Amino acid sequence: MARIGVYVCHCGLNIAGVVDVEKVAEYAKTLPDVVTVKHYTYMCSEPGQRLIQDDIRAHKLDRIVIATCSPRMHEDTFRKAVAEAGLNPYLTEIVNLREDVSWVHIHEPERATEKAKALVRMGVARAKLLEPLEKHKVSVEKNVLVVGGGIAGIQASLDLADAGFKVYLVEKAPSIGGRMAQLDKTFPTLDCSACILTPKMVDVAKHQNITLLTNAEITAVNGFVGNYEVSILKKPRYVDEKKCVGCELCTKVCPVKVPDKFNENLTEKRAVYIYSAHAVPKIAVVDPEHCLRLKFDKDVCGKCQIACEPKAIDFKQQPERIQVKVGGIVVAVGSEVFDAARMAELGYGRFKNVISNMEFERISDASGPTSGKIHSPKDGKTPKTIAFIQCVGSRDKRFHEYCCRVGCMVTLKQAILAREKIHDNVRIYVCYVDLRAFGKGYDEFYTRARNMDIDFIAGIPSEIHATTDGSLYFDVYDKNTNKLLQIHPDLVVLGTGLVPNNDLAKISALFHASRSADGFLLEAHPKLRPLESAMAGVFLAGACQGPKDIPDTVAQASGAAAKAIDLLSSGEIELEPLKAVVDKDLCSGCRICESICPFVAIEMKPETVKGEEKLRAEVIEAMCQGCGACSSACPTSAIKIQQYNNKQVLTQVEAALAETCAEGGK
Amino acid sequence: MSLVDLMSMAKPNLESRDKILAKLKGIELVNCYQCMKCTSGCTALKLLELKPNEIMKLVNLGFVDELPSSDIIWTCVTCLKCVQRCPQKASPYHVIMALRNLAVEKEAKVPEGFLKAVSQILETGLAEPPQKIVTRKMETVDRECLKLPKIKFPKESFQAAFMKAMEEK
Repeated sequence: MARIGVYVCHCGLNIAGVVDVEKVAEYAKTLPDVVTVKHYTYMCSEPGQRLIQDDIRAHKLDRIVIATCSPRMHEDTFRKAVAEAGLNPYLTEIVNLREDVSWVHIHEPERATEKAKALVRMGVARAKLLEPLEKHKVSVEKNVLVVGGGIAGIQASLDLADAGFKVYLVEKAPSIGGRMAQLDKTFPTLDCSACILTPKMVDVAKHQNITLLTNAEITAVNGFVGNYEVSILKKPRYVDEKKCVGCELCTKVCPVKVPDKFNENLTEKRAVYIYSAHAVPKIAVVDPEHCLRLKFDKDVCGKCQIACEPKAIDFKQQPERIQVKVGGIVVAVGSEVFDAARMAELGYGRFKNVISNMEFERISDASGPTSGKIHSPKDGKTPKTIAFIQCVGSRDKRFHEYCCRVGCMVTLKQAILAREKIHDNVRIYVCYVDLRAFGKGYDEFYTRARNMDIDFIAGIPSEIHATTDGSLYFDVYDKNTNKLLQIHPDLVVLGTGLVPNNDLAKISALFHASRSADGFLLEAHPKLRPLESAMAGVFLAGACQGPKDIPDTVAQASGAAAKAIDLLSSGEIELEPLKAVVDKDLCSGCRICESICPFVAIEMKPETVKGEEKLRAEVIEAMCQGCGACSSACPTSAIKIQQYNNKQVLTQVEAALAETCAEGGK
Repeated sequence: MSLVDLMSMAKPNLESRDKILAKLKGIELVNCYQCMKCTSGCTALKLLELKPNEIMKLVNLGFVDELPSSDIIWTCVTCLKCVQRCPQKASPYHVIMALRNLAVEKEAKVPEGFLKAVSQILETGLAEPPQKIVTRKMETVDRECLKLPKIKFPKESFQAAFMKAMEEK
């Protein structure tokens, strides 16, 4: 005979405002094996928890049913309270009266109360069958993999390395720095981006705890939280990293010209090049797609090899495969900028003087194609009129529904930079829908822009036209003046937003990190677990989780690093015991569970039974998240989830059906 | 009513608004965030002062009583730019068409040109009658001298089907 205590929480008025909690408590008293029932305003509060603990001791309770909010909210809280009173924490059953009842049936209190009663009845029936479970411990690797060398990856790596963890920082490009390295100034303080980023890039390269792997990609991730095995492919640079001194003699003799991606294709680089002026590591790299020697595989060209004094060029370099063992992973692969050519009406790609905001950054940057002088790309002249157009590709159901969260501030910054650089000789117009300046110091920045005689037009043009001489104009209806205005700009800058990284599908598959509807990586909980993916030990940082500016990215990166430190610092981790277990006698080795498991937690192991070799499923405990997919798919019921076996679930179903004809349950 | 237009003392008519919303299956009128793209590019704005964004907001607020009898809803030239470019798929064109249908239902005054077009279609099957044109060499030509086939006028069955479709609407 079980001795069950039932506790009904009011959750202020969240539950009690709809559900008649007293009636539910009265009803619970009539259920078999229930020894005591109480209801209280806030069960999760200190006095609420003490109520349960006192009862456990006084009534010698051995099962606890708590009718309260979602288990995602407070299951842990109550388990801890129960454990403190000396009972196994897994003998607690949570019944959700808030998300499942009061919040969704707000207009039908009577039927909600009946549903609450039924759920309590089910909880009590199930509670009797709960089994005491123990948490398991596994040891962990004190190394961390950081994927992506933008500001997010750099910050996370430095924090982890400073805390004494060994970090493998993997970057796809030949240099770290990412998107931030391409920016001129940063809002709202107008710090020079390179001035605040470059020292951090150098710190990464010099840090004894960081192994920097550029021009490299992750090819496979195996293992589980605390014990991941990662395969990294380091692509050949065709330059000996130890010999190259970054003198750029090779780039001066290379005859092949290629659009320079770092400069947003506004200039050309050579087929052997150094990624950028501030590149870390500052080592040349040969572009195998364009290098004549590598493309034609003959003894052609080779000019760079002759020019290189330290003899660093090595066309025979092979890809290198590196295996590392890490305890945790920080994914910080960043985002891309929206391709404005997809929005045909704005003429990006057709009109040379219509540029993206990333191109403006390069034009405005002192190390960029115009040495920081604002020029219209078409004629190289200083523009007399600049127009910024906001929300390009963002807040647009044809492309991306979300707000890009940086576009407004980027435009304010660029408008201010244009005013500072061209002084009074330029008219600046910003066409916007809503201007969002929400961060610390951001609205003051907006005021600063207005003070600098920048004109804000509340309206977006429908299309941009060019006259026969190539000059641009567009009509825009300003809702503040109720006038249709025509603007003739020499330069149009499109406020293109941030969009999910092209590699994100691959990344999501590699790390089993799911994606949200907007295409970015999905955090474990939008409010309470924003730094973690659903996969244990895989953390998210920066714009790969959603569009972000630099302050938010850095904050999230430090947070993700702290989360990884928290996970790994003790050298071992506790695992929830709510996992799948296999009854080996029943397992037929059909492999259905293996194919269905979203966490790759099932391994098929050969076993010899009576001289015959058979395959048996085995659960890798550390990877299993207890989702139950295997259990419902298993044709022989050989695989079960602890605390959710068939008997426990079916008893609950029977209890649900037991009183369907009771009053109110029409 | 909690909302009043103090200039005209008009009050929202939520019933008529619901009627319009019901006609707009799949068009997300209520999502309009007044970005002005429709009005900025409206073909009928410069000459006829059609402001699609204003119509969108009036309908959203429920000020719909004046719209079916106003001349402005008949000025749309159905170029469909606003449908293509609306970032919220709120499609002002479809809202204007819904208002025109409401005007016919309410037997409000329909501009003569539209009524003419209907009888034209009924008689000839064409929205515009065949016309003679003047070439660059100042010669007046018609279909016959261009050796184009004669236009076949529709059969009675077409007219019957057309009338039936009109009545159903």
